[in-house]
Amino acid sequence: MLTVSVKWQKKVFEDIEIDPTLPPYVFKAQLYDLTGVPPERQKIMVKGGLLKDDADWSAIGVKDGQKLMMMGTADEIVKAPEKAIVFAEDLPEEEQATHLGYSAGLVNLGNTCYMNSTVQCLKSVPELKSALSNYALTGRSNDVDQTSHMLTVATRELFGDLDRSVNAVSPTQFWMTLRKKFPQFSQLQNGMHMQQDAEECWTQLLYTLSQSLKAPTSSEDADAVKALFGVNLRSRVHCQESGEESSETESVYSLKCHISHEVNHLHEGLKHGLKGELEKTSPALGRTALYLKESLIDSLPRYLTVQFVRFFWKRETNQKAKILRKVDYPLELDIFDLCSEDLRKKLEAPRQKLRDEEGKKLGLQPKSSSKDSDVKMTDAEAPSNESGESSTITHQEGSSSEKGTLHMTGIYDLVSVLTHKGRSADSGHYVAWVKQESGKWIQYDDSHPSLQREEDITKLSGGGTLNLEIDHLRGFSFLTMLRQ
Amino acid sequence: MAPSPDPNSVGDGPKRDEATTKVPTKDPKKKDDKKEEDLSEEDLQLKQNLELYVERVQDPNPELQKAALESMRQEIRASTSSMTSVPKPLKFLRPHYGTLKEFHKNMVESDLKKLLADILSVLALTMSAEGERESLGYRLTGSEGDIGSWGHEYVRNLAGEIAEEYTVRQGEEASIEDLMDLVQQIVAFHMKHNAETEAVDLLMDVEDLDLLLEHVDRTNFRRTCNYLTSAAKFLPGPDDMLVLDIAYMIYIKFEEYPNALQIALFLDNMQYVKQVFTSCTDLLKKKQFCYMISRHGITFELDPEMVENEVDREMLQDIVNNTKLSEGYLTLARDIEVMEAKTPEDIYKAHLLDGRASSGPSADSARQNLAATFVNAFVNAGFGQDKLMTVPSDSTTGSAGNWLFKNKEHGKTSAAASLGMILLWDVDAGLTHLDKYFHTNDNPIIAGALLGVGIVNCGIKNDCDPALALLGEYIDKEDSSVRIGAIMGLGIAYAGSQNDQIRSSLSPILNDAKAPLDVIAFAALSLGMIYVGSCNEEVAQSMIFALMDRSEAELGEALTRFLPLGLGLLYLGKQESVEATAEVSKTFNEKIRKYCDMTLLSCAYAGTGNVLKVQDLLAQCGEHLEKGDIHQGPAVIGLAMVAMSEELGLDMAIRSLERVLQYGEQNVRRAVPLALGLLCISNPKVTVMDTLSRLSHDTDSEVAMSAIISLGLIGAGTNNARIAGMLRNLSSYYYKDASLLFCVRIAQGLVHMGKGLLTLSPFHSERLLLSPTALAGIVTLLHACLDMKSIILGKYHYVLYFLVLAMQPRMMLTVDENLKPISVPVRVGQAVDVVGQAGRPKTITGFQTHSTPVLLAAGERAELATDKYIPLSPILEGFIILKENPDYREE
Repeated sequence: MLTVSVKWQKKVFEDIEIDPTLPPYVFKAQLYDLTGVPPERQKIMVKGGLLKDDADWSAIGVKDGQKLMMMGTADEIVKAPEKAIVFAEDLPEEEQATHLGYSAGLVNLGNTCYMNSTVQCLKSVPELKSALSNYALTGRSNDVDQTSHMLTVATRELFGDLDRSVNAVSPTQFWMTLRKKFPQFSQLQNGMHMQQDAEECWTQLLYTLSQSLKAPTSSEDADAVKALFGVNLRSRVHCQESGEESSETESVYSLKCHISHEVNHLHEGLKHGLKGELEKTSPALGRTALYLKESLIDSLPRYLTVQFVRFFWKRETNQKAKILRKVDYPLELDIFDLCSEDLRKKLEAPRQKLRDEEGKKLGLQPKSSSKDSDVKMTDAEAPSNESGESSTITHQEGSSSEKGTLHMTGIYDLVSVLTHKGRSADSGHYVAWVKQESGKWIQYDDSHPSLQREEDITKLSGGGTLNLEIDHLRGFSFLTMLRQ
Repeated sequence: MAPSPDPNSVGDGPKRDEATTKVPTKDPKKKDDKKEEDLSEEDLQLKQNLELYVERVQDPNPELQKAALESMRQEIRASTSSMTSVPKPLKFLRPHYGTLKEFHKNMVESDLKKLLADILSVLALTMSAEGERESLGYRLTGSEGDIGSWGHEYVRNLAGEIAEEYTVRQGEEASIEDLMDLVQQIVAFHMKHNAETEAVDLLMDVEDLDLLLEHVDRTNFRRTCNYLTSAAKFLPGPDDMLVLDIAYMIYIKFEEYPNALQIALFLDNMQYVKQVFTSCTDLLKKKQFCYMISRHGITFELDPEMVENEVDREMLQDIVNNTKLSEGYLTLARDIEVMEAKTPEDIYKAHLLDGRASSGPSADSARQNLAATFVNAFVNAGFGQDKLMTVPSDSTTGSAGNWLFKNKEHGKTSAAASLGMILLWDVDAGLTHLDKYFHTNDNPIIAGALLGVGIVNCGIKNDCDPALALLGEYIDKEDSSVRIGAIMGLGIAYAGSQNDQIRSSLSPILNDAKAPLDVIAFAALSLGMIYVGSCNEEVAQSMIFALMDRSEAELGEALTRFLPLGLGLLYLGKQESVEATAEVSKTFNEKIRKYCDMTLLSCAYAGTGNVLKVQDLLAQCGEHLEKGDIHQGPAVIGLAMVAMSEELGLDMAIRSLERVLQYGEQNVRRAVPLALGLLCISNPKVTVMDTLSRLSHDTDSEVAMSAIISLGLIGAGTNNARIAGMLRNLSSYYYKDASLLFCVRIAQGLVHMGKGLLTLSPFHSERLLLSPTALAGIVTLLHACLDMKSIILGKYHYVLYFLVLAMQPRMMLTVDENLKPISVPVRVGQAVDVVGQAGRPKTITGFQTHSTPVLLAAGERAELATDKYIPLSPILEGFIILKENPDYREE
């Protein structure tokens, strides 16, 4: 009879007797009583080896008083979870893209950053995307020329590619059709394609799309693009000399923010941009006279585009120069006071409602109107900003998606910015900053999207030298804002 | 004190002599007239006296001569005690040196001649031309009086001349007996006058250090030994060994056993270690020795000769076996209050990266989860608890199981093994936790469990050999991942043990034609670890055969690099012993030949600071190769390995690497960050940090990756806020690049390793000793990092666990005579180099007072701030036993 001690976990069981005539399995059964570990789970270590159930004690050479060590638990054995875990690496590419939370960048094909930035900004407008996807591939209506059709299709394809891909997409097809449609973008300089004005690209592209998306079949929204981006202006033209007055209406795709030395804020610039002087023949005076033109907004789009007019033609140097003045802009823009009387009236009710909602959110007791608070406004945020040249455009949402009712408030959220970095229009670099549905800001620098902070977006305002945070010279072209 | 152009220089000597003898009054007179104007009366008097003596010396009357010589001696002796300026008598006697010399030549042999020779010997101090050694010459012919009576400077000068003379005579094979007599005198004089360094220098010059033993005494042996040990670092072999031998003997002579043991360990001389144990009779001190040995990480068996009592021996062996390491570490953790487990998110601190954190809800990324597994393992290493793996699993959520399965395929191996890391050093608990993984049928998990067992047992020895018992039977399993798990586990658990049983089971794998390459590679590596620095012939043979058997294609594989590395580890730090094997390696296939060369060279001279080898390796780095040769990587790492031992060489290496970085090929540039990481491991020097930070943004992603990993290495276990900040920013900079992000995460885990309680530095005991197993672990990782893409970013990421070999608590824990922790006040400050300084200089500067246990950062030293206890080891690191001071009185 041998006595040994067995160490198991932190416990030591002293004086366990072994009968060398019986197989070690009996010994294990003894240990089972002590530890509760079933013999088949026991691992008993003797001098660098494991004790086998059928081993011979004499061969193992256990001595009296020896210490043995036992390993083993009665724990449940680990099982793989029934539902296998899906790893991001195994997902198909499209799904990986959605997991990133933003879409891919665009490869620079040689000074095409103006185009890439424009596309990225436009792409952030979901309504445009859906309008494009409804566009019949083959069913080209007769009033759209071949190249416009091709450009529209190319735009649609490009948006699709961007949504599906994780890696940067090369917009070759789109670029070719764009150059075909607008030969001015094919200008060469030293054998390279020249840097172009993003504002021009924006305007042309939007115009083309509005033409081709005019939807001859669907009766609902005759002009999808116009509903999204178009601004109706009602202008009063007044001649001071003769006292003549006339009014006219026009439709534009963007508001201009004129930058002069008294403009410090976007709002001031917009006001400035809505006033103008023009010379025309006065029928009363029988000669050209100076007319004052004052415009007011008559209808608001879903997306309001604002162009910062930063570039101007400098005659002395024969090039487009840039105004580097810092113009602040808010993340939320209220253009109520730029609207016409009629529009203001329309805006009143929704605005009141909005204020109540906000008051409620802040814990304030809403006034009598609290009863209809169950009519909720849909907060659709799909802002897109572009910065190209020297102009900014803001877009407003004219209607909430609910049953086609318009809930215009005249308040827009900043959704994207297109910025230009550099001294003149023909040089420098364009970058798009787009707000995602998750509320995060992404900077699309050609093929490199990167996360940015919201605070940094407002710091882009400095076209000028004071902007310490971001490299140096930046100007913006477009802001697209969405109404709340 | 360079004399102006010597008037007695060989060429015009005789002429001048003539002049001075013949016209003693005229020529000097002119000069004197000018000089006399600024001389004080006293000086004038002295000058005239001396001139008188010079004349008298030449007097034929011996009586007069003798009186003159005596007086002259008086004057000189009275003034040579200070040497801030040329003593006046020497100055005034200068013009007469030639005269006296001439006269001495013609004197008949007599006491007077000897007396004059003495005086000439002193005068030669300022007069003798370079290389003439006249001072020594006259000394040898002079009387054998007390050498010190002529002043310190004279002795020093003499010592210098002896060294020169010795070299000359060695060349001519002339007798040196007369010199040695003088040396005896000089050494005795120096040792008595606090000039131990000069005595040692002289003895080293005349190659007779043994003399030192006769002259050291209680008051000066410490300074002497201190100087010897630090000088050893700069001596070429085998002189350094000799010097350390002497230091060891001195320490033994004065019963300064802890220091003796240190040197014995440095020399890797087990005979000496044994001698320390047999010479010391104090059991408590022996316990302290055991702690020192356990920190060094070598396997050491006590025998009855060293410790008679069996119970005592068992207890001491327990200390050597590190069984209490876990307990001590947890004591430290509790004292510092960092027991609370940390999650990887606590380390990433993504909330500090406002808005740039990972976007939106995303699916589990296998890569990122794997990174989290490693971070979790490193951060909670040794604490026994974490929030991913050890959470008690209940059947519904079963979080422990869950995390494991959030890793993909081979990732599960690392996940299961991470349990071993979390329960590091706590064998009992570790095995309990790992047990459940042995019973699955998922091979990667079993492999991980096996590896985990190895990790838990790292540095811990146990009579029952649980690691061998458990892993042994898996070595020859079918699945290669399981085999690798078992093999690597054995390598980690038994590193440095030279265990024959394991060799007999691993060696056959090396030469098994059917075994896959990865199994062979890991077997070679594990054998290298187990036999690290052993120069074992048989193991070397099987590795050499394994290398020769590789096919052309296999030699191109990334993992093949572990074969030469395994071979190199066998010779780690063994210098010349590698030569035979290096010769054989020249016959290898050219694809691997140079790689093997570099690896062997760098391993063999690792930690020696051998400047010649550093130059060899630098030359390799400087070559511009056309083809994709890969041997420059190990050359760069080798540079760091050789130079890392000593501060000066280290700084030089950092500077040379900066150059290599600028002019080297891409291949070389990739390895440079790793070399920097090794040089400053767990020692975040600001300059290196900046260099690495710059490289971490390099356009070459592999340079960036190694730089990032190295940032982790230099900050390993320091919680360094600056590196942590850099890595955080890198994590947002590289958030799109999964591979780089993985590296950033690993580095973050390393920086917060053991929540800042651990170090990876292979050096300990005030940077004197280099733990071979620790170095082996780090070097293996670095070699793996040379091909990051195929190894760490591939499916062999678990090589990261080799770092466990280098992980040690960077603590000082004081225990009482019963080995129970006690808290005492200590001062911790920057260590000051006191070598060669007289008196009792302060050893630390800018200190703060804490109570033990305390953490020691790189370059810091501790000293007790109380007289109540006496530490049993002068090197206050790791476990320190305190004895009550019998003379202490409460104030």
